[in-house]
Amino acid sequence: MAETTPPATEAPAPKPVVPFSPVLLKYIHEPNSHTLEHFLARGGYETARKHVGETDPASLIAIVKDSGLRGRGGAGFPTGMKWGFLAKGTGKPAYLAVNGDESEPGTFKDRHILEKDPHQLIEGVILTCWAIQSNHAFIYLRGEFILGYQRLEAAVKEAKAKGFIGEKSFGKDFPLKITVVRGAGAYICGEETGMLSSIEGGRGYPKIKPPFPAVSGLFKCPTIVNNVETIANVTHIIKNGADWHKQWGTEKSPGYKIFCLAGAVKKPGVYEVPLGITMREFIDVYGGGLIEGRSIKAVIPGGLSAPLLTPEMVDKCTLDYESLASLGSMLGSGGITVLHDGVDMMSAIYNTMRFYHHESCGQCTPCREGTGWLEKLAHKHHAGHAHAGDADLLADVAKNMRGRTICVLADAAAMPMQSYLQHFRGEFDKRVGEAAYVERGRSARDEITPAAKRETVAHGAPGVLDVGMGMDRV
Amino acid sequence: MSEVKTVNMKIDGRDVTVPADWTVIRAAHQNDIEIPHYCYHPDLSIAGNCRICMVSVKGAPRPVVGCATPVAEGMEVTTTAAPEVEARKGVMEFLLINHPLDCPECDQSGECKLQNYSVEHGQDHGRFHEEKVRKSKATMGPHVKYWGSRCILCTRCVRFTDEVSGTGELGVIYRGDRSEIATFPGRVLDNPLSMNTVDICPVGALVSSDFLYQSRVWNLHSNSSVCADCSVGCNTRVDLDAKDQIKRIVPRRNDAVNKEWMCDAGRLSFPYVRTGRLQKPKVGGVDAIWKDARRAALDLISANGGANTVALVSAWNTNEAMASIRELLAAEAPASRVYGYGNPVVADQVFPGFTISGDKNPNRAGLKQVLGLDTEGGSNSLKALASESAPIGTLLLVHNIPDFAITPELKAVLDRSENVVLLDFGSGELLRYGNVAVALPTLTSFEKTGTFVNKDGIAQAFEPVMEPVTYGQPETDIVSALTRDARAHTTGVRA
Repeated sequence: MAETTPPATEAPAPKPVVPFSPVLLKYIHEPNSHTLEHFLARGGYETARKHVGETDPASLIAIVKDSGLRGRGGAGFPTGMKWGFLAKGTGKPAYLAVNGDESEPGTFKDRHILEKDPHQLIEGVILTCWAIQSNHAFIYLRGEFILGYQRLEAAVKEAKAKGFIGEKSFGKDFPLKITVVRGAGAYICGEETGMLSSIEGGRGYPKIKPPFPAVSGLFKCPTIVNNVETIANVTHIIKNGADWHKQWGTEKSPGYKIFCLAGAVKKPGVYEVPLGITMREFIDVYGGGLIEGRSIKAVIPGGLSAPLLTPEMVDKCTLDYESLASLGSMLGSGGITVLHDGVDMMSAIYNTMRFYHHESCGQCTPCREGTGWLEKLAHKHHAGHAHAGDADLLADVAKNMRGRTICVLADAAAMPMQSYLQHFRGEFDKRVGEAAYVERGRSARDEITPAAKRETVAHGAPGVLDVGMGMDRV
Repeated sequence: MSEVKTVNMKIDGRDVTVPADWTVIRAAHQNDIEIPHYCYHPDLSIAGNCRICMVSVKGAPRPVVGCATPVAEGMEVTTTAAPEVEARKGVMEFLLINHPLDCPECDQSGECKLQNYSVEHGQDHGRFHEEKVRKSKATMGPHVKYWGSRCILCTRCVRFTDEVSGTGELGVIYRGDRSEIATFPGRVLDNPLSMNTVDICPVGALVSSDFLYQSRVWNLHSNSSVCADCSVGCNTRVDLDAKDQIKRIVPRRNDAVNKEWMCDAGRLSFPYVRTGRLQKPKVGGVDAIWKDARRAALDLISANGGANTVALVSAWNTNEAMASIRELLAAEAPASRVYGYGNPVVADQVFPGFTISGDKNPNRAGLKQVLGLDTEGGSNSLKALASESAPIGTLLLVHNIPDFAITPELKAVLDRSENVVLLDFGSGELLRYGNVAVALPTLTSFEKTGTFVNKDGIAQAFEPVMEPVTYGQPETDIVSALTRDARAHTTGVRA
């Protein structure tokens, strides 16, 4: 399925469409694709063997820079450029930290590389470490990835036994150590500096930037942080060249990317496609279209924190960083969730807010307090207890959270709320006092929520005789 | 000035020049421009988590935190423009939504940064109508209690135990708005600096068990003093109630001496001011009037020109007291000898950011400077005197040490002395020892002026913080009266 070449589309591709077949996920369907034998049989570690200790590291960085590879973790920062920022001559060791704490809801791409093809990642790590001249790489795994951890750990052991890593990697004078670190199930440890804090053994609190990790990161040493998918790409780019990579995708978003499709489609799953294909094509061709009798209500394009796309926006959308940015959303981690026309958006936003409230690390005030407030207000809308003005309050709280914290978790919580409010404001307003009327058949004023009580006391309740109050008033 | 690289920048339109490695908040504070802050503390690392110190930097798309933004040449910062004011307002609202409205029973009330900034930067109404998050209360250690719901998670206390005391008892547990400060399992916040966490807590989350519910802070008045508990000489602020009762002692910033820290023992050292005091002069164990007591003391001290008189001066006396004693002996007992003594010196308690001196005498350096005496050894210390065996006619004991247990050496000397003239503010063991012929009440360092020289040779003068609670007098007054009496003797004119 994923192997099928995308048919020639009407998408305005500026360059000739080159047939694409998956690169990173090519072998994941084969049995034992995670084993060293399988990997060696398909030419594994040959690229690393060829370059480590031989090729000038700067030329490898140049290839990656030239390829236009952008970080696959969510921010989409050019990888080669990031490597170029690594502080040199500090007298401290440089580290590579690979982010495998894949926990953005709707995203499940890295786990396939970790579980089905861990050696592919390790070869990428070796090449990256040679390119940035780092002798110690950390791979940070999400705590829930049990199988991925077991297979990666085994793969690291095998690579070490084979001499691909160790005191003399590939027999060259290049010591390299790979340490696999497991998280304990915190979303915030997927934030790059939160991950570094966690690797250091501390609480997963993100760190203030600047200084950026490339200058002062892990253990206050220069550190490059890259996503698993990004690192897995490195081998293929170095092996095949920058131009090979650039034959797919758009000018500013070259290459291909793994997308995760979830929600109301016939064939949810993981698909590796060239960047720049249309969202419609992705959903209809790869995902097999929506489930019977349903149409699109909204699409979350890049993980839960990406602002929603309405059906009209979906029609205009292509899967590349620029197109989504122009629509006010983001490509993010490539986790695409399709919401069908029967989805209760209040339920969806409440679930979203519950997640961010649960996962806020609690370091910065606006996020610590704001995520809880958003959840409580979202719950009121979900349950139909909302008051007039609560939707405006939601908008204001979300606005107060944005851009005011150390990391972007506050923004990640506020952005979906803002986009739900922008596109589905009617559904919020419909829930004002709804439960009280509809479900209980009673006056909204009889609701004994603290807020309702306060309102009753403040404004008086016609028809309700409050003896105590009455006495006082006289 | 040594070579310090500086940068020129503008804060609120004012041109300022500051060292290049400073942050915006430090540059502003140095130039008396207030930027509100909770988590920032000049002696702790930067956490940048409270987000109240928002400022606008020209060219930056949105307000940034002043505590974590380094200064730069040509930087233009505003602290009162609309974007940062709005940001601060938002942060204040977030801080207060889960904060209990228990100001009436909160110890911090009146000196609370949440209250102050709420007035200055907050809104006049709340918009949060949901249920607040409730957190636990805990006893962190012998001197510190924790009110979780009041906590704003600035982590100053955590950073203090990590960086200054180095003991690391505290950490943050749970996540998000359920976060709380707690001691690690099996740990207790019992390091000798633990009460500093109460001072640096900007809200009422960490409170002192000793001061808890003792007074509303607006009913207190404060005076500056110097701690006499060890040779560090921490600068202090003594808070007293309307009845002149000392309620608490907190450190006062002095970067050359104690920064903004102080040990728990020093803070809790004040009860001796009110208890166990020598109220009136005593002659032969019986209360006497000052004049008779002075006469008796002078007779004993000046007998035989002081040939049989030995003065023993403790390292708890002020420079002024020591100088007075020197003058008295020179005038009335020129043949006398002087020795020094004090609390025994033990090893320093060294922490990464603070040292509690093992020398539990506030003025050992002064003893050396003024009288040339030492307490720990040498020919003019109590040790040397104790090793002699000749009987002493009159022992002039200038004591002034609270909670003092008689050492074997001092006991040996007392046993050899025919008469003891005691100058002390306490009515402890020494007074009861037996051969005290005359006891003259003196004052504690809270009640008199004086100067202590700390272990680094810094002379620190202090003023009384309260009225004397006994009929005691400062040594300087006692000595000048004694010499006046002596003059009256020789001239025959009655004083």
